Amino acid sequence: MAVNNKIRQFFFPSLTPKFLIRVSLVALFAYLFFGYLCIPFTIQGISMEPTYHHGGVNFCWRLRYLFSEPKGHDVVAVRFAGSKVMLLKRVVAQEGEQVEFRDGKLFVDGKEIEEPYVRYPCTWNLSPRQVEKDCIYVVGDNRSMPNENHYFGQASKSRIMGVPLW
Amino acid sequence: MVKIKYLLIGVLIVIIGILAAVIFFPNEEKRVKKQFNLLSEWVSKSPEENTFTLLQRMKNIGTLFDEHCELKVPDQSLSGSYTREEISTYEGSARSHFSQLDLKFYDLHIVFPEMEVAKVTLTSRLTGKSTAGEQVDETRELECVLRKIENKWLFSQIEVVEVLKK
Repeated sequence: MAVNNKIRQFFFPSLTPKFLIRVSLVALFAYLFFGYLCIPFTIQGISMEPTYHHGGVNFCWRLRYLFSEPKGHDVVAVRFAGSKVMLLKRVVAQEGEQVEFRDGKLFVDGKEIEEPYVRYPCTWNLSPRQVEKDCIYVVGDNRSMPNENHYFGQASKSRIMGVPLW
Repeated sequence: MVKIKYLLIGVLIVIIGILAAVIFFPNEEKRVKKQFNLLSEWVSKSPEENTFTLLQRMKNIGTLFDEHCELKVPDQSLSGSYTREEISTYEGSARSHFSQLDLKFYDLHIVFPEMEVAKVTLTSRLTGKSTAGEQVDETRELECVLRKIENKWLFSQIEVVEVLKK
């Protein structure tokens, strides 16, 4: 009987002021945490295959770059439109560096960069270009499509929302 | 008792007055938002749309724009100043490539930098089906400037924000 009461109390708690305060605090914390600090998102598209798959679920951790700057090879969420549409991309070059693609190989400041995360064949060619101040250069991991069909390029650092949690 | 009755009637009149003012005299922000709603309604297209509706919508769209409107759409190589007639014609021609279109605007952020000028940052999402049967789903961030001319908010500048610059 006592166990039954405990189960009933767990699933159908009495609406006491203490309980209501607890529920309100949990709801407020969840709203702030998942609304501003750790934003859930679903991945749409194949530009980060095979690292991230279409339809996958992840969280954008917004405090990652609070005291540091994005580094090369970091995967970042770039704010694309409004506050809800983001692009998941990999940082390949920093401000002031020169980026170039030759026969699918990435060159930064003339040096070939090894990219173990790029698994699909790539034949891109892109003439050298310098990354402007306060910007980073981002590219997806899936470069199997022609570069005209792939969103990549220089993004303002102010548009970096954070990093995926996993 | 009589005093309370008069007091209640007074409060009721004040509430009705406030509601009427809000409904019949919308603030400028609401009037700007209304222009976006109209644009969304007139650009959208259902598969059953007949020629009369098409012509009516083409004509209506022109009324939302200033005599000369600055357009900057890097993806479509559309850049420069266009008259409202040119915009109507371009819009009609673009719509003819689709059997179904749905344009929606989200996250409207409206500021009034000076008198009779509104600057709006927003997310636009265009979904639909081309006449060739291809699905379309494009999201972009837009920056628009509207000017108040003869008591009407008209689009005088529309720019698609280039988030990633190759």
